[in-house]
Parts: sequence; C-alpha cells; structure tokens
Amino acid sequence: MTSLSLSNIKKNFGKVEVIRGVDLSVDDGEFVVFVGPSGCGKSTLLRMISGLEDISSGVLRIGGRTVNETPPARRGVAMVFQSYALYPHLNVRDNMGFGLKVRKVPTEERARRINDAARTLKLEPLLDRYPRELSGGQRQRVAIGRAIVGDPEVFLFDEPLSNLDAELRVHMRSELASLHKRLGSTMIYVTHDQIEAMTLADKIVVLRDGLVEQVGTPRDLYERPGNLFVAQFIGSPKMNILPFGSVAKALPGSPGRASHVGMRPEDLTLTDPGSGLVSGRVLLSEYTGASSLLHVELPGGEVFLVAYDGPSIEPDTLLGLTIAPDRLHFFDSDGRRTQ
Amino acid sequence: MSVSLTRRRIRLLNRACWTIALCVVAIPFVFPFLWMVSSGFKSAAEIFGSPSLVPREWQWRNFIDVFNYQPFARQYFNSLYIAVTVTTLTLLVSSLAGYALARMRFAGAALIALFLMSALMVPEEVTIIPNFFMMRWAGLVDTHWPLILLPTFGPQGIMATFLMRQYFLALPKELEDAGKMDGLSRLGVWWRIALPMSRPALAAVAIITFLNSWNLFLEPLIFVSSLQKFTLPLALSNFTDPYGMPLWHLQLAATSLAVVPILIVYLIAQRQIIESFALSGVKG
Repeated sequence: MTSLSLSNIKKNFGKVEVIRGVDLSVDDGEFVVFVGPSGCGKSTLLRMISGLEDISSGVLRIGGRTVNETPPARRGVAMVFQSYALYPHLNVRDNMGFGLKVRKVPTEERARRINDAARTLKLEPLLDRYPRELSGGQRQRVAIGRAIVGDPEVFLFDEPLSNLDAELRVHMRSELASLHKRLGSTMIYVTHDQIEAMTLADKIVVLRDGLVEQVGTPRDLYERPGNLFVAQFIGSPKMNILPFGSVAKALPGSPGRASHVGMRPEDLTLTDPGSGLVSGRVLLSEYTGASSLLHVELPGGEVFLVAYDGPSIEPDTLLGLTIAPDRLHFFDSDGRRTQ
Repeated sequence: MSVSLTRRRIRLLNRACWTIALCVVAIPFVFPFLWMVSSGFKSAAEIFGSPSLVPREWQWRNFIDVFNYQPFARQYFNSLYIAVTVTTLTLLVSSLAGYALARMRFAGAALIALFLMSALMVPEEVTIIPNFFMMRWAGLVDTHWPLILLPTFGPQGIMATFLMRQYFLALPKELEDAGKMDGLSRLGVWWRIALPMSRPALAAVAIITFLNSWNLFLEPLIFVSSLQKFTLPLALSNFTDPYGMPLWHLQLAATSLAVVPILIVYLIAQRQIIESFALSGVKG
C-alpha cells in the first residue's frame, strides 16, 4: 500500500519561505491535484516529494518510509515534466528504458517492460523514432511511458498538459484518467487548469502562498468552499462576492456572523429590475456559444458575472438578479465559511 | 516562353558574376597555398628563377630530404600526439569545469567564472616568462609537458571552459532533473546527458584546440631545445643552411606535409568548423 504523508513540510530558498508548513495525507491509489495561483508553491511541493528539491523541515513519508534524505530514484516515484524532458539524443525505446538501464535491470526484463508500456500507451510504432520526430501528444505519451516502465509507487505530474493545444489536452486528460483507473497507482498532479483539476482529481489541494487553503473532493470545493480565496479560485467564471450588508435586508435568517456573501454566476437567474436580490445594468454580454456571460454593474459599482442562456440582451438593459437561498455562500470577516 | 528564357538567362548571368567575383576574392587565399605546394617540388635554384606555378623539373627528392635533414617523422609524431592529448584533456577538463560553473551552485562560482574570464584578457606573451620559471622549477623544461599543460590549463583551456559553460547554461534543466529521477548521480548526468547533448560545442572545442595546439610556436620555442622533441612549427623553421638562411625548397615541402592533418580535419568537419567559429565568436 503506497500512501503518502506530509507533516509540517517547509521549504526555504535563502530567507524566503516558499512552503510554510504543509500537512497532507494521500491514500493509496488516490488521484490528488495541487492547484493554486502562480508562485503558490505547488510545483515546489511536487519537486520536494520527488526529491529534486530538499526539504527544509518536516517529514515526508512514502509507503510508511521517511524519505526526506532518500535520493529521487529510490523513493519509488516517477515524474512527468511540463516540457516532457525527453532525452533528444535517444530514441523512444531508449528514452523509456533509460532509467531501467541506469538501475541495471536485465535487458530482457527491460525490453518486456518497455513493450508493455508501449502497448498500454499505443507507442509501439514510434519506438525507434527520436523525440524531434514526434508530435506534442506523442511526446507526452512517451514521457508518461518513461514513468510507467519504472513501475513506481507514486506518479508525479508537473503541469503535463500545459504545452498541448486545447483539443489534444482534452484527449490526453481522458487518457490520463483511464490510465489511472487501469494502473490504480497513487498520482499527484500539479496544474493551474481548473477543468483538469475538477475532472481528474479524487482530491484537490488548493494552495496559496505556500500554505494549504483547503483539501477536498472537487464537489466539496465547488459547493462548500472553505474560504473566500477557494470560493473565488474554484469555479469558472469565478464566484461573485458582495458585502453582506448590501443584501442583508433581503436575506432574513442568514448567519449573523456573515461579512460577505458569495453567488456563483451559474446559480443566478434574471428577473425584473427592482425585484430579486440585487438589480443592475448590463455592461457587456459575452456570447460563448452554449450560453452568454453577462457583466452586470450593481448600484454600488460592483460588477457581477452571470451565466445566462436565454435570448441576447443588449448593453444598458436594467435587470434584477435572484438566486435560490441554498445556493448562497456566507463568509465571516476573516473570509472563512460560516455555514 | 521568352519571359522565362530571359529570366533564366538573368539567373545564369547572376550566378556567373558571383562565381567570378568569388574566384577573384579567393585568389589571395588560394594562391599562396598553391605556390607553397608547387615550390615544394622545385629545386632551390628554381624557386628564385623565373616564377611559375608548374615546376620545370619535379623534385620528388625534396620530400625524402625533409626526413633526412632532421628527425622529421619523429617531430611530426610529436605534434600529432601532443595535439591529440591536448584536445582530449581540454575536452575533459573544459566540459567538467564548464558544467560545474554552469550548473552547480557553490560559493564563489561567479567569482571563479569572473577570474577565468579576466585571464582571457592577459596576452600569452606576458605570462611566458613566469610560466618558464614555473616549468623549470618543476623540471619540465625540454619535455613535452609544458606543451600539453599550458594549452590545457591556459588561455585555450579557459576559452574552451567558457564555451562549454555557455552551452551548458542553455541546456534545459528539466533534462537533468529527469536524469536524477532515473537514478543518475551528478557525474552520471554530466556523462550520459549533458555531454551527448553538447556534441556541437564539444566539436567546436575539439577543432579549435587541435588547430591551436598544431600551430603552437612560442611555447615549443621557449620550452623545447632537443631536436628529437621539436614539434612541427619549430621543425619547419629549422630547415636552414649552415649560415641560418632558409632552405626554401625543403621548408615548403615540409610545410606542405604539415598541413595535411589540418586539411583532413577541415574536410571532415567543415560544417562544425564554421559553427565553431560562430559559437566562439573568434576568427579562424
């Protein structure tokens, strides 16, 4: 069983503390996704798990073993890099078998594992090609293949799809999901793409400034964000936030400690001006095909985003917005969820 | 039809003009070489007789006399083995040092790089006397060691280190990370990833170093005194009569022989040579 646990993990680069005490446990076979804004430390945390970065303090355990000082190759982890990091001077077969060769795995065993991985990833016709002769998607598959042949206990992915075009990304995403199902291995995945996080993860870890903001299933994070940051970070378009005072009268029975109220764009419905929870003037209507995204300016100057799939609405139209009470999110003055 | 014919004619004319212009420009470079080779086949008297590129009488004997006059074969071998040794050592040292300076974080790395760069500014002639005293102190005068050690660790070696460092700086760091994940040590990453990926830079360093060592004159002149230990540049200047006047026919025949390895290197690695000069920013 390969679980993984991080206890009060910290990382300093000189005087700068980039990871400021992370506690996390990952169960065997779980697909965990690290998300967060740029510079939040998600890639650094992944590199610390891989062994490519030293751990300044705290304890990292993989499969029950403390591996703080264990070299990367002996941690039982494999990493897939953002740029694929395929060796340009080796063909696909040698790229995939390189790690096994370094570990002195016998030739027959090496060939068997390479062929197995190539079959799994449909790479068989490409085994004698060099990385420069492959498309982006093929390179990505080779990078994954290189990770698979080592039969690692934990897979680490550092934004592996970010260099692919939109269509290929969707395709590779589903391939990764099915690969996880097939292998049943523990996987940790770093991305800034929410769709990837929401679709792939069993568990999402939201990071900000080197700290974990919230850990939960994608549904948990979307429906019950633990704080204002997570509420606005998870979900696209992002959640609208209003000071609670501006809508307090229209919301009798709301939590007394609430300081802010959040409403997801897709939960809001249009109504006549003056009725509903708030009213405003349409600034802009962005047609996205399946629906439109309305930018509505409220009397206080705040701009609300509303997902809308009715007939087109002209700018400057006045309208009211309403929402089901159970779709409201309340946060206290510290930004923490109050219910 | 006539339009395309005219266009073709213009293109041909254009090409002919260019070819003639390039031939004219090439004369100052090619003519001395041809003169050297042809004079190698002339007698001493004919060289100063009526000038002609084709010898009146082909003196094949000159190429035998070259070997009889002094231990030319031995001197040829000296140059060859010294150039190969210097090239091998320089490749090893410069790639290791360049990798360390480019990739390893250690105290004083930037300062060391700065010192090395500043050493490039010092003319070789300025350091030759201290170097001589150092070699004499080490008991290495009249041996080949100074001709191996000084180029390897001197300005040529530093230039090579600088070239390798710049090249390693541009190598993607993720490849090294991948190597570490695959179980390579730091030295393993250098040997199995960084070096195979640096072939263009290594070729550039090898070519420049080989040519430098092959043409080295000042150091052999200062450090070597035995005829048996001469290298080619020194040996070539030694084809003189008892009064110290050059024996041109022998000197030019020997020089023609001396350029053979350089010609071979050029023929094999023309593309890399041009790339190497572009990479190093130095003139050929």
